[in-house]
Amino acid sequence: MAEHKKIHKGIVKNLKKCSKDIYLLELESETSFVSTAGQFISIFCERTLRRPFSIYQNDGNTVSVLFREIGKGTKYLTSLKENDIVDFSGPFGNGFEIKNKRALLIGAGAGVAPVSYLKTELEKRGIESLLISGFRDKDDIPSCLNSDFIVTDDGSNGIKSNVIDFARLKVKEFNPEIIYSCGPLIVLKKSSELAKELGIEAQVSMEKVMACSIGVCRGCVIDVIKEGQVQNASVCKDGPVFKGSEVVWKI
Amino acid sequence: MENIIQTKLAHLTFKSPVFTASGTYGYADEYDDFLDVSEIGAIVTKAISLKPREGNKHTRIIETQAGMINSIGLENLGIEGFLEKKLPVLRAKNIDFIMNIAGSSMEEYALLGEICSQNNIKAIELNVSCPNVKSGCLEFGVSADSLYNLVSKVRENYDGFLIVKLTPNVTSIEELALACKRAGADCISAINTLKGLEVKFELVNGKFRKTKVQGGYSGVGIQPVALSMVNRIRQAVDLPIIGMGGIYTLEDMLKFFAVGADAIQIGTANFTYPDIAKKLQDELREYIIKNNFKDLDDLKNKIRTCFNEQ
Repeated sequence: MAEHKKIHKGIVKNLKKCSKDIYLLELESETSFVSTAGQFISIFCERTLRRPFSIYQNDGNTVSVLFREIGKGTKYLTSLKENDIVDFSGPFGNGFEIKNKRALLIGAGAGVAPVSYLKTELEKRGIESLLISGFRDKDDIPSCLNSDFIVTDDGSNGIKSNVIDFARLKVKEFNPEIIYSCGPLIVLKKSSELAKELGIEAQVSMEKVMACSIGVCRGCVIDVIKEGQVQNASVCKDGPVFKGSEVVWKI
Repeated sequence: MENIIQTKLAHLTFKSPVFTASGTYGYADEYDDFLDVSEIGAIVTKAISLKPREGNKHTRIIETQAGMINSIGLENLGIEGFLEKKLPVLRAKNIDFIMNIAGSSMEEYALLGEICSQNNIKAIELNVSCPNVKSGCLEFGVSADSLYNLVSKVRENYDGFLIVKLTPNVTSIEELALACKRAGADCISAINTLKGLEVKFELVNGKFRKTKVQGGYSGVGIQPVALSMVNRIRQAVDLPIIGMGGIYTLEDMLKFFAVGADAIQIGTANFTYPDIAKKLQDELREYIIKNNFKDLDDLKNKIRTCFNEQ
């Protein structure tokens, strides 16, 4: 019999407001599990559908996510108190494929979570990386980041730039061999375009509303190009990380 | 040890009355991380068509106040793909399954039935009521005459256990149930999703943006409709009924037994609680023992008697 190890009880160890509406939630898991940067967990939020969140940190016992309070599900999460028990499942999906290449990491908004996790993983392996994260304004910047550069759209903190424009400036001196990104669709698309211009690989972490998290419901599919043909791929099971060159961009 | 929740539907025996609904369980292998699928009553496969289908291109799912709406459009790998890749896995793992099939013409349904017979598929569920496909299966499910013709055609070609899944989006579900019986169906399952629409607006820089999904409404909100439909079918025909619609708890399941269901399917709840089928099955067994019912049939008889009392 297979081990049924993908449902967990998590004790809320910390719920911290890190910016105007971005929160850090740390859960001590009763069952430890290993994950890779870019994988996600799905948290039961007292709604019909679980909410998927990219893992921000996972030391085997404590797993954390960064999320923006935007709707009923995430409002439930922000109402949690220390030592509350949360039902979550995972880890799910395919994370970033780590390559021994100088890495430019681009994160925008709460999308900074998996690339920040990735940066930690790259550092453990001695792989050089540069993390640029972008936010709307100073009130949007989470206080818990390992970012090398922070940019804001309005310049109220850090450098005034959009994250892609700034990345374009930096590639000249940093000379990346691969780009990893997570954030709004437009940021992912532009990261892929930048990688293409530089002749390097891009890996992007996609986001979609999900129901099952395991590839059965086919609710979160996107179009990808494989072997020259447009095909369906589920963000939850085939992704959430895809090669930027495979995604059919609909923006 | 005697299996007190063994469930007989006409000539077919299942180890429990708890099944999982089509479209919410894939082809079962995806659930290995949560439970031993071979322990549950049966799984109903995602709908399988003659040729592979890519499904719909637009946004496919959206949450509602009391459930969700899907517009998947029957994405599936086609019957050849199923027979080659999924059937051996189901059989190797000893999983009891019902194959859900969906055609886009009477001939396709008949051919699918024939292929199922040839491959010794013990039970099939005809999807005659998918709300998300422009041409095809829905039309068969809303008219008693066309449903009769369709089920008769499949019956001629298929000698296993034939279940017809009815849509609630009709005026008289009784007439459709009677048509199934006349055409030789062995069992009715109900209900498929209700037709629904959900839209969410976001105001960005003074302009509205929308996310809209129109399709099949499922989840806890449809339960009263499902109970009513199952009860109406029960009064119209004496075929076994597999009831479904927003089942999340033991109490929900008992309500379906009370109004006339012989077995049940769990649908949307699988997404939120991937091990729920096993849990509800265990709870049902414990409930029977704790309350000194002889077995599941005894429990069903008693709760039905109570429900039917004036």
